Amino acid sequence: MSTVLRTQDLRRVFGDVVAVDGVSLTFDDAEITSIIGPNGAGKTTFYNLLTGVLSPTAGSIEIASDGGYTDITDEPAHVIAQKGLTRSYQITNIFERLTVRENLAIARISRLGRTMNISSAAMTDAEITARFDELLEMTELTSFADQRCDELSHGQKRNVEIALALAIEPSILLMDEPTAGMNPTEVRAVVDLIRELDANLETCFIVTEHNMDVVTDISDRIVVLDRGAVLADGTPSEVLEDDAVTSAYLGEMGADGHIGGIS
Amino acid sequence: MSAIDPVPLVSLADIIVGLSLGSRLFLIAVGLSLIFGVLGVLNFAHGGLYMIGAYLTLVVVGIGSGYFWLGVVMAALGVGVIGVALEILTLRPLEDRLENDTDQLLVTFGAVLIIHEGVRTIFGSQSYTLSPPEYLDYSIVLQSGQIGVYRLVVIGFALAVMLGLWLFITRTYFGSLVRGTASDREMAAMLGVNVRRLYTGVFFMGSVLAGLGGALSAPLQSMSPALGDQIIIDAFIVVVIGGLGSISGAFVGAMFIGLAQSLGPQFISSGSIAIPFLAMVLVLLFRPRGLFGGVAE
Amino acid sequence: MSSESSVANRVRHAADEVRAGWTPQRYGVLLFGILLAAGMGPRFQVFLLTEFMIVALFALGFNLLFGYTGLLSFGHGMFYAGGAYGLAIVLKEVGPAIEAYLGAGLSGGVSLLIGAIVGILLVTIIAVPVGWLSVRMEEIYFALITLAFGMLVYSTIIQNPLDLTNGTDGIVILLGNLNIAGLEIRFGARRTFYYLTLTIFGLLTFGMYRVINSPFGMVCQAIRESPERTGAIGVDVRRHRWAAFIISAVFVGVAGVLRAGLAGVASPELSHWSTSAIAVIATVIGGASFFAGPIIGAFVFLYLRWGISRVPTLEAYWEFFFGLLIIGTVLYFKAGATGGLLALRGRASALLKARAHTRGERE
Repeated sequence: MSTVLRTQDLRRVFGDVVAVDGVSLTFDDAEITSIIGPNGAGKTTFYNLLTGVLSPTAGSIEIASDGGYTDITDEPAHVIAQKGLTRSYQITNIFERLTVRENLAIARISRLGRTMNISSAAMTDAEITARFDELLEMTELTSFADQRCDELSHGQKRNVEIALALAIEPSILLMDEPTAGMNPTEVRAVVDLIRELDANLETCFIVTEHNMDVVTDISDRIVVLDRGAVLADGTPSEVLEDDAVTSAYLGEMGADGHIGGIS
Repeated sequence: MSAIDPVPLVSLADIIVGLSLGSRLFLIAVGLSLIFGVLGVLNFAHGGLYMIGAYLTLVVVGIGSGYFWLGVVMAALGVGVIGVALEILTLRPLEDRLENDTDQLLVTFGAVLIIHEGVRTIFGSQSYTLSPPEYLDYSIVLQSGQIGVYRLVVIGFALAVMLGLWLFITRTYFGSLVRGTASDREMAAMLGVNVRRLYTGVFFMGSVLAGLGGALSAPLQSMSPALGDQIIIDAFIVVVIGGLGSISGAFVGAMFIGLAQSLGPQFISSGSIAIPFLAMVLVLLFRPRGLFGGVAE
Repeated sequence: MSSESSVANRVRHAADEVRAGWTPQRYGVLLFGILLAAGMGPRFQVFLLTEFMIVALFALGFNLLFGYTGLLSFGHGMFYAGGAYGLAIVLKEVGPAIEAYLGAGLSGGVSLLIGAIVGILLVTIIAVPVGWLSVRMEEIYFALITLAFGMLVYSTIIQNPLDLTNGTDGIVILLGNLNIAGLEIRFGARRTFYYLTLTIFGLLTFGMYRVINSPFGMVCQAIRESPERTGAIGVDVRRHRWAAFIISAVFVGVAGVLRAGLAGVASPELSHWSTSAIAVIATVIGGASFFAGPIIGAFVFLYLRWGISRVPTLEAYWEFFFGLLIIGTVLYFKAGATGGLLALRGRASALLKARAHTRGERE
């Protein structure tokens, strides 16, 4: 296991509001880290900083590459994605009117750097379609591969969402509340999927979640954010027994194991 | 030989012409701007509404007893009604996706074609002219030129409308609804504002203003079916420069364009027609929200 | 009896296969074949068909940007004009020199070729900076800025810069002849120009088809669906849009060259937003989400207009119809005319299948 991503004193201010307050974290490959915290803790802002949607007010973000580190602090979103950091969205953000296969193809085209290629036919190109079957199988989309995404069910779209992110072969995948709005069966399916992906890929997973059952199930490590700063960082058992964490959540933890009253 | 005169003499008469041009532009642009600010719709057909205002005035004055101001009022209200019909038929079906969707541009463009054809069918392709009411149909003669008194009346109208609108938006309840809905439609709906009816109300207002502009302009320029197409581009330019959704912006922008069109040819011997478009491009690039961006500022 | 039914079976199988094999490529070949034959028809129809192909190219280029990349431009007329004026200026200014140099035999063809190349160059020179600036805008603002640029080009042309464009009158174009090996090709002749246009139309349509289905084209569609996600997977969205803009402009530029040749004149109106609107109307009516949409839309646009003009009472109303068509398509039938045709074909094949079934049951 080696470090793939690290932030140093990452800070982001909006006017008077300090959304992210001096966050220094390192993330290793082949590890699943869950980031939890009450609403407003800064998780979304942290994600936006990592993916390049926002620029930090101070601090740095570095990605591991070729034995050293590349600074990606002020790079635009697409450059960061090219360097191996990508995300999946809470509200599915896929290419709705294209088929599943085409969705994957676009990710592959970007990964291969062939976006300006006008000479070949994309969907029959061997290099582009190379790992489709594998991906489709992993995300249980094989039978829907040639259907338009706007014809799929919510759960299937969710899988496309994840498959799309994986098709880029990221070294770091940020997952934004992957089980949001799902019934227990669907949640189970997503958890199994993440477990399987973790087993098969070297990718570093960083997951934000409100569902504590999911968090304890999949995480190798939990980071707790509160008011923009890191409150706790360790294994699930360490973190969940930490008094500071429990007090931060006192009154917020619902009987069904969900934080913040949001299921 | 330089294209720019070293010491141009700008006469008061030319300025008045420019300001009266700007006044008519203001009336159509402010309606367009309001509709965009509140509904998020850029109404391509607004020029057509302006044109209908001019023609309706012609009709009322022609048929009726020649009461000009009656014609103006009826034209403005008539255009308001037509505008509402337009909104209900073409924009309501899109109401879930009005904001910044190119569909609304396409649909209002379709309406442009229909209005253009309608006017052409009813009135023919020839130009019509209308004289201002007799008691206003004279000029003040100065050394540098003549100033038509009617033009001064039009300018006065524009100022009155601007003041009235400003008061309306900032001081009345309806105005506050407008402002609130413009900034957050969902919140407004949750607070019980009937957004649909508000939209129609604003569209009515915007259309009345366009109709008023067209009606007042009837004595100043000949009208033909091409009028709508000509004026809508100027209106777009004004609204972009002034800021989509801003009343004062529409005023400043309109006066700028009006003066540019009347004074421009004196400063630059050729190419003055490019000035408004150049201004539009520059504003879009550097200050896309316009010089005064925002609602009712 | 068995031989009869086996023949019937074989015919039916062949028909099934043909029906199943109606790929876009085959439709394209069919269309090309029809157009090839149509060139021998009545002269006015030949003229109208030439115009159809040119407008189709205009709309096709426009739709790369609109239907496939999601950017609505109301200024594409500037590229139409760019191509037209490129040709016109070359013929006017350089034409005589070419003729003096090469003699009357080759000069007609060479001038045309050089004119076309200059037209494309001109279009590219305009498209690169205009595109770079315009793709910074989103949605409606993109439409507004392209409209403004188009009108800027229009006002520039009218002023007769460098005494090249002849202001509001435009430049008259006379296409010359080409004499090679005893063969005389008179470009100004209707049928000759028709086949020239058909060749270019075929090549460019095929080219556009390749572009749409290439990795480049797929990424365009991704940008249309979700620019944010496309950026998040590593694509430089702005640069890609810029590239699409330029390719789209070049297509329209070629259409403009042909337009100038057909109309015999390059006029400033080509850059007016009302000309840009033609591409919009044709594409929307035809169905912007289909490859063939712009082509079918161009056909509908031209032939509906022509058809209406033949009926004296309706003659004045073509704008009315098109206004209604646009509104109807956008609001209720996004698939446009192409969608309608596909639905028709679906119903027809379903009908045929049902017939085949009942016949099969009877046997």
